[in-house]
Amino acid sequence: MIEVKRLRKEYDGIVAVDEISFKVEKGEIFALLGPNGAGKTTTIKAILGLINYEGEISIDGMNVRERGKEIKKKIGYLPESVAFYDNLTALQTLQFFAELKGIKDADLMKLLKEVGLEKDANRKVGGFSKGMLQRLGLAQCLLGEPELLILDEPTTGLDAVGAYEVRKKIKELNEGGVTILLSSHILSEVQELSHRVAIMNKGKIIAIDTVENLSKKLEIQPKLRVELQRPSNRIVNLVKEIKSVKDVKVDGNILEISCPPSAKLAIINAIEEAGVKIIDFKTVEPTLEEIFIKMVKEDE
Amino acid sequence: MNEIITIAKKEIMDNWRNKWLIAVSAIFMILTLVISYFGSMGSAGWKDLDTTIGGMIALVQILVPIIGLMLGYATIAGEKEKGSLALLLSYPVSRVEILIGKFLGLGAVLAIANIAGFGVAGIVIGINVKGVQWGDYFTFIFASILLGLVFISISMLFSCIFKKRSTALGGAIFLWFLFTMIWGTILSGILIAKYGLSAMMNENWMAPTWYYIASIMNPISAFSVLVSINVTPISTHLTRYPSFYTTPVTLFILLSWITISLVLAYYIFTKKDL
Repeated sequence: MIEVKRLRKEYDGIVAVDEISFKVEKGEIFALLGPNGAGKTTTIKAILGLINYEGEISIDGMNVRERGKEIKKKIGYLPESVAFYDNLTALQTLQFFAELKGIKDADLMKLLKEVGLEKDANRKVGGFSKGMLQRLGLAQCLLGEPELLILDEPTTGLDAVGAYEVRKKIKELNEGGVTILLSSHILSEVQELSHRVAIMNKGKIIAIDTVENLSKKLEIQPKLRVELQRPSNRIVNLVKEIKSVKDVKVDGNILEISCPPSAKLAIINAIEEAGVKIIDFKTVEPTLEEIFIKMVKEDE
Repeated sequence: MNEIITIAKKEIMDNWRNKWLIAVSAIFMILTLVISYFGSMGSAGWKDLDTTIGGMIALVQILVPIIGLMLGYATIAGEKEKGSLALLLSYPVSRVEILIGKFLGLGAVLAIANIAGFGVAGIVIGINVKGVQWGDYFTFIFASILLGLVFISISMLFSCIFKKRSTALGGAIFLWFLFTMIWGTILSGILIAKYGLSAMMNENWMAPTWYYIASIMNPISAFSVLVSINVTPISTHLTRYPSFYTTPVTLFILLSWITISLVLAYYIFTKKDL
């Protein structure tokens, strides 16, 4: 759906994005992840044709520079800090943007209801809180049922419930066939939502894959968390001696063991044979945070 | 085309909602009535429209450029600074459509204010005075609108050049001083330095051609000449205008200011990153 080839952008001699290339497939949720200044927003702005850039970007095979207007009919965009016209009401704001998109029969009240703003439909946007603006931003980017949503930090400014609802909405939209490109600094959000992730640092993509594949490549082991009735140094040393166990940490009654999945049974058996009662155990998959930190450290 | 209309409509509605349209119309109407009733010869009483126009030229030269500049200075810089321009451009609308839409919308605001303000005042004067030359009055209203459009387009150019709303406002204020005061002062200064004040005081003295050319290049002067040569009582008293001060020349200059400013604004706007 989106193809970015050798995208490069400089601001006053400083390279913001340095010849990056990637593809976003139709129907997937693709996340751009990286620290501040990594080049995520610049990449999004280039895809939308908001900045001049070197390289090529196409959406559905159409060049963004040449057929930007046509392409934008298929796109919904939620900027990082959404700004509307203060003197318009929420309903008038949606009417204005719907008209720009050539939508005549949109049920705007339904859209406002979907983002929880139906009671504020006739209030001027100038008096809205940041969270309300973000909700209205989400409503406007859903106008005309776009095929592609570009969301720059979609849950910024929302409370926990609001952020949960937005994430739920993103999943629903994706299940309905909408392709989503999002950037976020919230690692858990990216991990929960995205099918694939591009990790950016200093204007470059340093890794691009699924979370699962990235952790495999980096050899980040899943962790086995075992809760014992009475842990002891003897047990810790016993577990450490098991082949393929990389590390054991003790947190109260819990042992956090870094190991490959194949070693789990041997660990559980060894603890039981040592006569220590196991209260509970579970496998914890590697988090995106671990992958992200390792990637960025390796890059630097 | 629909996108241009949508943007123009929004500009008109914005200025209607924030009462600008009503305020400017009221200012035009009140000043016209005041000038017509109290404006000349020191005696109170309604003057005909042509005499009123004579009194109004100086006022329009100051007021209309200010209104044009105030309407246009924040169009791009203000929206860019706020962040709404990036959102607007994520919709299927091109940069040239945004510029044209905004220009047409603001131009319509200024035209409506001119027509409503001067129109109502003209009707009041027409009721009280016999033998009104409506043609002259329409020429005056048309020229005022054209002058306003010049300053809207120049301020939109400045709005594309500057990154911040505040600097665009500073630029607009500078432009107003440039065209209303600095331009004429510099030209007069050069004349005095070159020919001396005593030579210029001679009633048969005629300034050189370059002075008249440089002078009419100022859109405010072009407006003044356009009205002066087309409104009967003023044109009959004109003796010092060169032969090339004609209606087509003044119209060409005013339209050139609009076109060149908008083309430059578009060129700069397309190079701008949001």
